[in-house]
Amino acid sequence: MADRGPHGRTERRSSGELESEVLAALWSTEHPLTPAEIQAEIGGDLAYNTVHTILRRLYDKGLVLREVDGRRGAYRPAKNAAELTADAMHEALDRGPDPIAALQQFVTGLSPEEERALRELLTGGLTGGVV
Amino acid sequence: MTVDVYTPLVLSLLLAAISPAVGRRVAPALAARVLTAAAVVTAAAGVWSLVLLAATLVNDAPPVVAEARENGRRLVEPVPEGIGVLACLALAVVAHRLWRAVRTTLGTRRALRRLCEGHPPGTELIVAASEVPRAFAIPGPPGRILVTSAMLGALQPVERRVLLAHERAHLAHRHSLLVTAADLAVAANPLLRPVRATVAFLVERWADERAAATVGDRTATARALARAALSAGRPGSSCALGFTDRAVTRRVAALQCAPPPHLRSVAAAVLALGVLPALGAADATDDLLHLLANVLV
Repeated sequence: MADRGPHGRTERRSSGELESEVLAALWSTEHPLTPAEIQAEIGGDLAYNTVHTILRRLYDKGLVLREVDGRRGAYRPAKNAAELTADAMHEALDRGPDPIAALQQFVTGLSPEEERALRELLTGGLTGGVV
Repeated sequence: MTVDVYTPLVLSLLLAAISPAVGRRVAPALAARVLTAAAVVTAAAGVWSLVLLAATLVNDAPPVVAEARENGRRLVEPVPEGIGVLACLALAVVAHRLWRAVRTTLGTRRALRRLCEGHPPGTELIVAASEVPRAFAIPGPPGRILVTSAMLGALQPVERRVLLAHERAHLAHRHSLLVTAADLAVAANPLLRPVRATVAFLVERWADERAAATVGDRTATARALARAALSAGRPGSSCALGFTDRAVTRRVAALQCAPPPHLRSVAAAVLALGVLPALGAADATDDLLHLLANVLV
């Protein structure tokens, strides 16, 4: 029940958002994933057919590839554009404090004691306060 | 005039002093909006006050002095001449700082657009095949989310949903506009720097709260932040927001409590604080116009 929002979150996920989630799942692992594995990863209440439709759309955009050898029906992410983006990102990061560092990043730097506190949070549950 | 014209200065110090406390107690969405609005109005009023102080130099313009002497009128000096000269210098500095801030913003936009090259239009998520764990929103339209493969690999499935929901919240609520507005306010009035830092922290908190609501799990949201922060390590380079001091642990701690209340009264007080310098500046304008009317007519 923990992954259920008050307003029926899963119904409201748009197809664009689902595309992002499928793509994120494929990128998070080294192995190609079958539609069933993807379905299990991103929420069991998502119809198998929906996963198929999303994979086809990502395939048409050239963002995912079908695995030829190995497991039939498995997909892996296409690397070309992602590698170009990584190069551009590193170049921008190396150039100095501007311009990417000025962005709101998901997370920022940690001090040693913060690192310890966060590790405790992940291993020991959420009983104590973090700060 | 002589008092009013300095109110933006005093009030910007006050706004800077109270902003961290407001940021801690009030719901982030509300606090970020009122603090940014108050900062922008205060900065604008400050610039206008400088314009007024600079305008008092008109009394010393040779034609005005000559004419006044002919008519046998005594010239009023609302402020010492030195202050008028200083105000002129300050205006020049402000203009330079604003120009630099705009240039930086445009540079960031350009660099971000370059990151989207080669990706088909109509995709929300842009993955960078990189070992550096990073994630950020690229303001639109259309807004995009850039995440590196290292960051995706470090997170659990539910935590990836938290990350995407967090970045979507940045885009949906146009957080980049708020932060840019706060940037420009600081460029015009460096005393407001603490307000900008608070706003930058608050938009992260705001996106955290949205993500927690979307995923329906505050604990998973806190764990996503912790895991992402740990995998990102201590790069030291991503401290540009100036609020890295325990920012992540403070966000994690906030997610372990109930969402903060809206406290509209505090928000209204902050807005009032933002409006006061504008009133002061308006009053000072009135006074100066009267003075000038005496001198010039």
